[in-house]
Amino acid sequence: MRAEPSDGDLVTMTLRGNSEAFATLVERYDRAVYHLAYRTLHDVEEARDATQEAFFKAFRSLRTFKPEAKFSTWIFAITYHACCDRLSRRKHYSGDELPERADPTPGPEQRVIALDEASRLRAAIDALPEKYRTVVTLFHLQGRQYEEIATVLGLPMGTVKTHLFRAKEQLRRLLGEMEVTES
Amino acid sequence: MNMDDRYGADALERAILELPLEETPEGLRASILMATAYRPAPAFSFFELAVVGSLGAVALWLIVLLVMGGGSLFVHTLATIGAGLSRALSNPAILAWIAAGGATALWVSLFTGSQPAVAASRRSERRAGR
Repeated sequence: MRAEPSDGDLVTMTLRGNSEAFATLVERYDRAVYHLAYRTLHDVEEARDATQEAFFKAFRSLRTFKPEAKFSTWIFAITYHACCDRLSRRKHYSGDELPERADPTPGPEQRVIALDEASRLRAAIDALPEKYRTVVTLFHLQGRQYEEIATVLGLPMGTVKTHLFRAKEQLRRLLGEMEVTES
Repeated sequence: MNMDDRYGADALERAILELPLEETPEGLRASILMATAYRPAPAFSFFELAVVGSLGAVALWLIVLLVMGGGSLFVHTLATIGAGLSRALSNPAILAWIAAGGATALWVSLFTGSQPAVAASRRSERRAGR
């Protein structure tokens, strides 16, 4: 049985002109990248465009990818920056300060009452302030790799851990409130 | 089960990690691939475009020249250049010099063609070994 090529191998193969190798990388990460974009932007079309933009930028600057780095961290960082650009453009065009929560949806108490566990958790994550929401989304995508999350966000690892801790505290509170509202 | 059990630190982390990813919109992967790995190669390379552009510019210049009545001057210039070339090529001494120059270039490329590359690699090896 042949072992799956690593992301690093696929990058090398792409740089040697193998288009299929990059297609495999897209297959591996398009869903996660879209997830990050959608969770950050909360808009299907913008998330779609940000995902495309991220892969396009990655493809164009593949030569700058350091072999010792993780491709997932690299592509997530590109995606995160693309999303930040879009958010700041939104802020620019709206003419006023963006609220800490980027999505204008109502708070958890007004949300649909009957939610299953996953939907409830997702709704609670959506209700978090943007900085916490992004950290939780990256924690979801990358697991307990705090260093990788810090690299993507360009923040010190301590800050990431603090954000994650506070995010979890807020999640617990929000989930509790939802439970009370439902009952 | 109370809230603290259900949303304890570990349970909450597990729940976050187990959340399903968002479904990608239809056609997203195809559009990414069409913009990157499977992007059709351009019909002309930069060099080809430059050559075609230059030829186009020369053709346009000629047309403008002919339309403005400068055709006879152009023909005269071409005839002068052609006459000069034919005179040069019919001179045995010039032909001999061209032949000698060509032969020398061929000889130099046959015997010493790979020298610069070898020298360069030796130089870099020496630098690395330093």
